[in-house]
Amino acid sequence: MKRIVISAVILAVMSVGCFYSVKVSSDFTDKLISQIHEIEESYEKNDLETAKNTAKQLNDEWRRFVDFSILINDLGHAIEITSSLAEIQSFAEDGDDEIYAACDRAKAQIDMFRDMQMPTLWKIL
Amino acid sequence: MAIVLIRAVILYILITFSLRLMGKRQLGELQPSELVVTILISNIAAIPVEDSSIPMIMGIVHILTLVCLDVVMSGVMLKSVKIRKLMIGSPRIIISEGNILQNEMKRLRYSVDDLAEAMRNQQIFDITQIQYAIVETNGKINFLLKKDYQPAEKQDIKAGGSAQDPPSVIIRDGIRDSEQLKLIDLGEAWLTKVLRENHLSEKQVFLMTADKNGNYNIVESEKKK
Repeated sequence: MKRIVISAVILAVMSVGCFYSVKVSSDFTDKLISQIHEIEESYEKNDLETAKNTAKQLNDEWRRFVDFSILINDLGHAIEITSSLAEIQSFAEDGDDEIYAACDRAKAQIDMFRDMQMPTLWKIL
Repeated sequence: MAIVLIRAVILYILITFSLRLMGKRQLGELQPSELVVTILISNIAAIPVEDSSIPMIMGIVHILTLVCLDVVMSGVMLKSVKIRKLMIGSPRIIISEGNILQNEMKRLRYSVDDLAEAMRNQQIFDITQIQYAIVETNGKINFLLKKDYQPAEKQDIKAGGSAQDPPSVIIRDGIRDSEQLKLIDLGEAWLTKVLRENHLSEKQVFLMTADKNGNYNIVESEKKK
């Protein structure tokens, strides 16, 4: 009986942990996308300083998240996002208009990353 | 490289813990669901060790989910006969009153060769000796011989004798097993007295067994000499 209770508790804890990690990933990616929007807006307004700072903050937060990589299913995809975010920072520092393309690419990659963590039926199958 | 080593150690501990959690039944005859879990665990455990880019938590969650589900399902099966039948099936009789039930054998996809092999495994070489045979849920076939072919038992020849538990090991390699001592209701004082009578200390005993009646046997340690 003790074994059954221990197993049920472990199952419950793991279920909560797994679904919580999905929520954490989802909230975090929402935050990243809003930060990318902020960078685009700041760049449009020629506020390069804010764009640079936000891009740096974006990179730092992403790296911290990747360090905690147990929340990531696909490390390859995470590496692509890392390089896209690094490009945004670089373009923001140089004042290069390529930043728009880099932002769009990063947003698409982050969107996909978030979708990949969601336990939808077609992904489970 | 160090990551692989650490991961292997963690997985070793995890799998040992998992098998303990699954219980002793798992180590003996496997039911279909237990067989599936055991095979899956061995495969899943290898993945994070081989590929360090895969977080080990993926393997841990896989393994713990399978093991815990198996234990929880075994608990559910204890309570519900319907679920037990659904998950592990029920034993099937293939020989009744000395007659082979051919339809049942076909249904179970058991050939005559399978039956003959199972008979030989149990030292039965003549099918006419069998009264009854049953296929257990783990696939093993058990036979009941006709009365004339069953070995004589004590009660058949009216021989007496009382049932008694076998002796327990109470000292092994100089270390006393208090749990076993409690089990045979003799107590620590009895053990101390016996050792004193034999002019031995606990450390000088390699093996000591005793039964509930206080009969004991001592094998002295060679280290003493």
